Amino acid sequence: MNCRETQERLLESFVGAVSPLEKSQLERHISECPECAKFAVLQSQLDLRLQEGIAAPQLSSGFRAGLRARIAWQPREPWPDWLPDLAYLAGSGVAIGSCALLLPFPVPVVLGTGVLVAFLAYSLQTILVSALEQKTD
Amino acid sequence: MTDEDIQSLLRKRRWAAAFELLLDRYQKKVFRLVYSILKEAAKAEEVTQDIFLKIWQVLPDYDSRASLSTWLYTITRNTSLSALRAESYRKTLPIEDFEPSAANWEAGMQQLEIKQLLQRLPEVQQQVITLFYLQDRSVEDVAHMLDLPEGTVKSHLHRARRALADMVRS
Repeated sequence: MNCRETQERLLESFVGAVSPLEKSQLERHISECPECAKFAVLQSQLDLRLQEGIAAPQLSSGFRAGLRARIAWQPREPWPDWLPDLAYLAGSGVAIGSCALLLPFPVPVVLGTGVLVAFLAYSLQTILVSALEQKTD
Repeated sequence: MTDEDIQSLLRKRRWAAAFELLLDRYQKKVFRLVYSILKEAAKAEEVTQDIFLKIWQVLPDYDSRASLSTWLYTITRNTSLSALRAESYRKTLPIEDFEPSAANWEAGMQQLEIKQLLQRLPEVQQQVITLFYLQDRSVEDVAHMLDLPEGTVKSHLHRARRALADMVRS
């Protein structure tokens, strides 16, 4: 193991475990190489200082209360996800029914055409909405 | 409590319960990630609140195909980076975080010195080394939080250690 490999293994030892074999190779090299011994001491001191110097900050005790207060100020969802679909269905039903009553065509024809048009319009709208949502994501 | 518990509540549309669990499980990690980017505890707490507020608003849009933590950390990184760009407080060292009392004066000064040394490293190395120590030396956690391969995290750690050693020596 040369100096470069030794120093890399040494750095590795601060990040993860080194095997017993690597550890003994490291110790042997360090005992014979003053440069790497100095590097090892410096890195150990640095590790200790970083450990002490980078202290985990703590959230204040009012963190959650503050968050809840901010959430309480947010506007609620005006309606559930399924409500527009229901509104569309109800609106289509009323429109088709009115057409069947008012238009001078046979009722089955008006109903059939109305249902087909409503279904096509709903499908097109669903495709457009999901395309827009994907684009927004 | 696991991500699966939270996802199960989300599938049942129990947003408030899911959000509480999410807070219990992730508030500390999110705060540390924000802190590693902003480097100021008070500002990091404010941005952490912004992040959870945003998460509360978009929780119904969460797509369970993506891992919950990956989704959360992506929002955290993006929001933190926006906050960093928006403010110029980073130009000076926020010493209000380091007001050592008489009893811990030495420790406080040492913390200040380490912070000053860290500031001389490239941004990504600062984040990696800060998170590494905040997350109890878990390379896996750091890689996941910063969306980097573990090998890259180790490489940043090694470079940062070599650079810091050079600074201490000089």
